[in-house]
Amino acid sequence: MVFVENGHRLSVYRDHGGYKSLQKAVGMAPADVIEEVKASALRGRGGAGFPTGMKWSFVPKDSPKAKYVVCNADESEPGSFKDRYLMERDPHALIEGMTIAGWALGSNTGYVYGRGEYRYLLDIMDVAIAEAREAGMLGKNIFGSGFDYDLHTHTGAGAYICGEETALLSSLEGYRGHPRMKPPFPAVEGLYASPTVVNNVETFTSVPQIIEMGGIAWRDLGTEKSGGTKLWSISGHVKKPGVYELPMGYADMEKFIMEDCGGMLRDDKKLKAVIPGGSSVYVMNAGQIIGQNVTLDYEGLVAAGSSLGTGGMIVMDETVDIVESTKNLSEFYKHESCGWCTPCREGTDWLVKIFDRITSGGGRPEDVQLMLDIADNIEGKSFCPLGDAAAWPVQSAIKQFPDDFKKWIVNGAASNGHVVEANM
Amino acid sequence: MLKEPIKVTINGAEIEAEKGAVLIDVCRDNAENIPSFCYYKDLAPQASCRMCLVRIDKMPKLQTSCTIKVTDGMVVTTQSPEIEKAQRSMGEFLLTNHPLDCPVCDRGGECELQEVIFDWGDVEERFKEEKNKAPEKYLSPIVANDPQRCILCKRCTRVCDEWMGEDAIEAGNRGANTVIGTYGGWLNCSQCGNCIEVCPTGTLLDGVYRHATRPWELDQTITTDVYSSDGMQLSIGSRAGEVHRIVARDRYVNGLNGEFLDVKARFAHEFINHPDRIKTPLIRYSKGGKLIPATWDAAIKYVAHKLSAYGSETAVVASPRLTNESIAALGFFARDAVKTEKVGVADRQSMAAFFENLSSPLATHKDIRYASTIVLIGGDPEEEQTYTAKQIRQAVRNGGAKLIVVNETPIRLTTKASIFIHANHGSVDAFALTVLDASNDSFAAEKLGVDAGLLGDVRDAVFETKGDVIIVCGSDLSSDAQAVIAATAGSLAGDGRRVLLHPLPLYNNSVGAIDILGGGSERDALRSAKAAYVVGSLQDASLLAGKEFVVVQELFETETTVHADVVFPAASFAEVDGTFTNNAGNVQRVRKAIEPLNQSKPDWMITRAIAAEIGVDLGFEPSATSAFKAVADAVPAYEGLRYPALKDESSPVQAKYEIASRDVSGAVDSLRRSVDAIQPADKINETPKVGHKLHRLTTMTSKTPQFHLLANGNPKPDNLLVSPLVQIEPSGAKREMAAAVGVGDRE
Ligand SMILES: Cc1cc2nc3c(=O)[nH]c(=O)nc-3n(C[C@H](O)[C@H](O)[C@H](O)COP(=O)(O)O)c2cc1C
Ligand code: SF4
Ligand code: SF4
Ligand code: FES
Repeated sequence: MVFVENGHRLSVYRDHGGYKSLQKAVGMAPADVIEEVKASALRGRGGAGFPTGMKWSFVPKDSPKAKYVVCNADESEPGSFKDRYLMERDPHALIEGMTIAGWALGSNTGYVYGRGEYRYLLDIMDVAIAEAREAGMLGKNIFGSGFDYDLHTHTGAGAYICGEETALLSSLEGYRGHPRMKPPFPAVEGLYASPTVVNNVETFTSVPQIIEMGGIAWRDLGTEKSGGTKLWSISGHVKKPGVYELPMGYADMEKFIMEDCGGMLRDDKKLKAVIPGGSSVYVMNAGQIIGQNVTLDYEGLVAAGSSLGTGGMIVMDETVDIVESTKNLSEFYKHESCGWCTPCREGTDWLVKIFDRITSGGGRPEDVQLMLDIADNIEGKSFCPLGDAAAWPVQSAIKQFPDDFKKWIVNGAASNGHVVEANM
Repeated sequence: MLKEPIKVTINGAEIEAEKGAVLIDVCRDNAENIPSFCYYKDLAPQASCRMCLVRIDKMPKLQTSCTIKVTDGMVVTTQSPEIEKAQRSMGEFLLTNHPLDCPVCDRGGECELQEVIFDWGDVEERFKEEKNKAPEKYLSPIVANDPQRCILCKRCTRVCDEWMGEDAIEAGNRGANTVIGTYGGWLNCSQCGNCIEVCPTGTLLDGVYRHATRPWELDQTITTDVYSSDGMQLSIGSRAGEVHRIVARDRYVNGLNGEFLDVKARFAHEFINHPDRIKTPLIRYSKGGKLIPATWDAAIKYVAHKLSAYGSETAVVASPRLTNESIAALGFFARDAVKTEKVGVADRQSMAAFFENLSSPLATHKDIRYASTIVLIGGDPEEEQTYTAKQIRQAVRNGGAKLIVVNETPIRLTTKASIFIHANHGSVDAFALTVLDASNDSFAAEKLGVDAGLLGDVRDAVFETKGDVIIVCGSDLSSDAQAVIAATAGSLAGDGRRVLLHPLPLYNNSVGAIDILGGGSERDALRSAKAAYVVGSLQDASLLAGKEFVVVQELFETETTVHADVVFPAASFAEVDGTFTNNAGNVQRVRKAIEPLNQSKPDWMITRAIAAEIGVDLGFEPSATSAFKAVADAVPAYEGLRYPALKDESSPVQAKYEIASRDVSGAVDSLRRSVDAIQPADKINETPKVGHKLHRLTTMTSKTPQFHLLANGNPKPDNLLVSPLVQIEPSGAKREMAAAVGVGDRE
């Protein structure tokens, strides 16, 4: 992705056409703005991929309560760092996107909620917000339209669960960061039990482009079902890690890793595994990618056996032991489980204890089956999707990399003096 | 009858259910048991334990039946291999970090986790890792905590918040490190113990009872609380003549209060088996001498002889803590044995004037919970009638009721009020003048020290109400004010609006005492008497000074027994059968849990024996049934009630008070005069501390050692460990003590 020098400054942003979309939007009927967003086929960039226009249309227009626009800048998904780039280099795009959303939804207040570690980004946002307010892009009577709107930033204490939209709202209200029951969905009863739209940073920053180009034209940058462009955060064993903007439907994943990202970090090491969408998706083995023409969009990655998630792509070469890398993720989920519900709280703790035992040489033949069963007992039975996200890496790692597990368990058990028949 | 019946299919059988009912309840009503931990009918849904998973047609994934409202045509499966696997896996998860040593846990035998797991029977233990550990500790002098046993159902934190409005406990840390903790590491609250009650496991434990017995060794006796006028139902757990604990756990009791109790009802029971109980009759042979043990026979004869001689110069005074039977026996004694008119009740703040002027029916506690508007005039129910307070809080919080508080003190409930009439010190009576009559507003407002418009707002709120208005009247109001309030309530009804009254007397049987003996005070009764027969203790023992002959029946030696010539050892409420009448007019049973201790006897038996010695038959046989029949025959409001009909605590019987329109012009005039005489005074601006009345040391509460800590500010001790994990080295040298874990300490 190309960023403009000093793009975080209002003057630079405006020189590049910034806030024209807002000016255009406030001249449109709010319902028409929502229609444009619907037409764009923009899907939420926070991981779940929910169609944004549809989410906006769920907000009850006639509700007498205040309505809120909340930007999810919690970005805690391992492997994902695109929102950071956006806020660092293009904060006004976020302000403009949220303000357009405010106009479309009849809201006068927006909040940017960032993880505790993103304080420095929210400082950048605060400066940008102050600049925008000064210049009349925020505050009273924006562009003479009679529309009042203002933005505030808020940091959490650094918890992954606070990226889950309802936990985010709890945290924003000052409570423990626990997810809430859905329904009611935030669009109906969100912040302070009022209609609230929660969207990801990247989702909001796409909105000015959509208004500028028109929904259909923006959609056509990508595919019919996955509209527009998408930011990918690439990390791991590639020569050129970073944030890349690709049109949806980009062909193909192998070319992207091997050419666009400069190929494998060490030329003599082969690709082993890729987690394409941030840690909360199925890990893929090289065979699912090489020569498979996997397109980079929602549908393409599902067809390839994983999903797009947040687009946080982690590339691993053959030096990586998948038991250890999965253990690392399991530790993350255990650490981040909020503790509300039984399966995620206890299951992640149990999984880590098993991983610890396996990687200290105490693996048992029954462990793999047990881990799969624990993951199955978490998946689909937890209170919020964090539980599923904790189960998937384990399930897919065992499925795609059985040999890595076999190696640990056979060696571990053997070192304990057991005779092992590995039938997995 | 179902209001809006719909059809639901559960496991293939079509049944009728109420539209919008919670699925788990519907299943249970139809004999399909579903295990659950976090679900609790009276609390906000939590959906965290994930035990209650079921399959619903057309829905993806298994669903938590505790969060689903049934809809017409819903098809539900509660039993299938898939569901059993899911439910068992939750059980397995809950046990991973839970110690498997039920035999040493105080909840063993009563634990819901244990029950669910035992119901399954064949549970394979697949968790072979090390369990997370944390030592047992105290959260307060009364609440012990074994964090390892917690299943994080958060019933405790929800009752603390939703029932008590205290929010004193909350979860801390996260993930598998989550613990239930306190703010500042020590529980500063009213210590109601409801968190202990609702805890399904042995995590929160009764610090007064801890490890005294195994629960199944206890005999459970359902009876009525001896402290508050709410008449809470509870279960006394006793073994071999000793009371060990009190619970309201609804597996034993299903009274008007559900699982709710307060600190006194639940914990202040140590007086029952206390060594200081008076053990034998005592006689003081000469004034100023000592009380010397005597035989029952000698003492009864002596007292009969003396009282029959004093006859109508005897004052008879009943404590409002006695059973109706004992109070009635005293009334009969006064009428028939000594033929005296000097009869009084030792109540601190009598509500007789209120009961004499009822123009509306009394509210039940359930009525309060579902009221639309509540006007609380005087009183401090959070400290005195705790269950009423809980019903008020929930009416506001869960039912959206409007609360109007009229008080001289900014009591805690004012934070829930939509209108607070903050009366000047000593002026609250003035409010009674404005309940119906707007023309008094400016006069009353000046005395109350509030804006007159507010008084109009209160009337508007009442007249705008569609459902029930409950007028709650504190016993701190003067008799005239009580009379005016009770008498005007009836005229506020109309437009489909009910107006119900709820008095706040101070004692467990203040109401029964009024019903039976009327409104005489101890002072009036004793004023010109030469002899006194006092059952229980007086509010002001000095009234006995100079009396020629004083007989007292008591549990303990008190300021009142100091004046006694004869003291009889009375049996406590746990040792007698009988009835109490609560502030809703519910006549409820008191049941004998243990035999009378030492040589003590029930008060009414003692009175009956003295009368018999005088040669007077009080008109009932020595059985509770017969004694109650005598009460019911004597009290118009109890007419037709019979003892056996009171046996089901889940449907309390309400006395039938005469409701009529009353002429209280006399009381109004006298009230106006007394209000007129009120001198300007400042306002009390400080909200009193939680427990300022509940934790007060009295003859009874002071026998539970923990109350001394509470009454002295509940200081946080240096070491919170229950049983400090001091490990002994083989050499005998001490090892370091394990530290208690607080919120934020782990990880
Ligand atoms: C455990 C968990 C963590 C999440 N973290 C984030 C996050 O950091 N940022 C984010 O935008 N969405 C996150 N989400 C997704 C949000 O719940 C929500 O779907 C999203 O903010 C909606 O915005 P979108 O529609 O623009 O994607 C997370 C979801 C879960 C279950
Ligand atoms: S799945 Fe349960 S424990 Fe895990 S984060 Fe969500 S609510 Fe919390
Ligand atoms: S302490 Fe008891 S009631 Fe509270 S969360 Fe733990 S198990 Fe549930
Ligand atoms: S009872 Fe339904 S989730 Fe706990």
